[in-house]
Amino acid sequence: MNDEELMAGARAAFDALDPVPEGVLAAARSALAWRAPAAALAELRHDGAVRPAAGVRGGTGRSLRFACAAEPAAGPAVEIEVTGDGRHREITGRLVPPASAEIVVRHRDVPAGRTAGRTGQSGMFCLPEVPEGLVSLLFRLPGGASVVTSWVRV
Amino acid sequence: MAGDPLATLRDDALQDDTSALVARARAGDGAAWERLVERYTGLLWSIARAHGLGDADAGDVVQTSWLRLVERIDALDDPSAAGCWLAATARNECRGLARRRTRDLALMPFGARAASGPDEVAVARERLGRVGAALEVLPRRCRTLLRMFAQAASYAELAAALGVPVGSVGPTRARCLAALRRLVP
Repeated sequence: MNDEELMAGARAAFDALDPVPEGVLAAARSALAWRAPAAALAELRHDGAVRPAAGVRGGTGRSLRFACAAEPAAGPAVEIEVTGDGRHREITGRLVPPASAEIVVRHRDVPAGRTAGRTGQSGMFCLPEVPEGLVSLLFRLPGGASVVTSWVRV
Repeated sequence: MAGDPLATLRDDALQDDTSALVARARAGDGAAWERLVERYTGLLWSIARAHGLGDADAGDVVQTSWLRLVERIDALDDPSAAGCWLAATARNECRGLARRRTRDLALMPFGARAASGPDEVAVARERLGRVGAALEVLPRRCRTLLRMFAQAASYAELAAALGVPVGSVGPTRARCLAALRRLVP
């Protein structure tokens, strides 16, 4: 057996014993549909644990900050806190500087394009029931611009 | 890689092709995207497994890597290096996940998949023959390396997957193959 035959045998063994699950391949094929070329990408800059104020339910949460790379920034930064466990998360947050925006939750199990809420005065928002898993938030700003966060697992 | 002209040739052909596929995917060509997915998902899965991730976490890492490429597909500096970029991204995601999960990180034994019943596994083992049997007794480090090397990936992509210099990929591959060969009667 030469090296290539040996490697072919190894490849066949791995493919047979631990193939990539079809669901993983299907999700990867459909990933291109999540392109948002018109939106400015806000990349993850910080991801840390936070202890909510006394009396707030949900134990510890996570605090994340996303910001656009370009200078001057192509859109506001997005700051969120994620709490809750089980199948849903509560995401509260704000746009900095404050901006009025429609929010779209991008998630495999959420119908695409549906508005999930709006930011209130001072740019604050609350998404009480976001399914766990990979999620990205898209903010449609006045005037047609938009900002989309990088994907994170919540 | 200077001593391995075949590998260099193969790398060049593959990267040209990857660059063209990325350009077509940027223009919204779903078929080109599927070719990229077919080419690299096996490598990404093997990277996740090399970090000891189970099915759910490995699936998340693979999907996160693809979504990161979608996010940046228009901004990639070097589309021909998309495979390297994906491999490095998967490696980073695995390391981040492992840090968060250290406490309940369980190493997946080779071939242990919940979906496979004992009969299926027995049939698979029979089909795998000598090489499959040898793989099972290889040290884990060598097995996970071989698994990456068995993917149709370039040396540059494997270097990104492993976080090592490109020049060390060929010798490492040769060492692992030699270890496997010693176990194949």
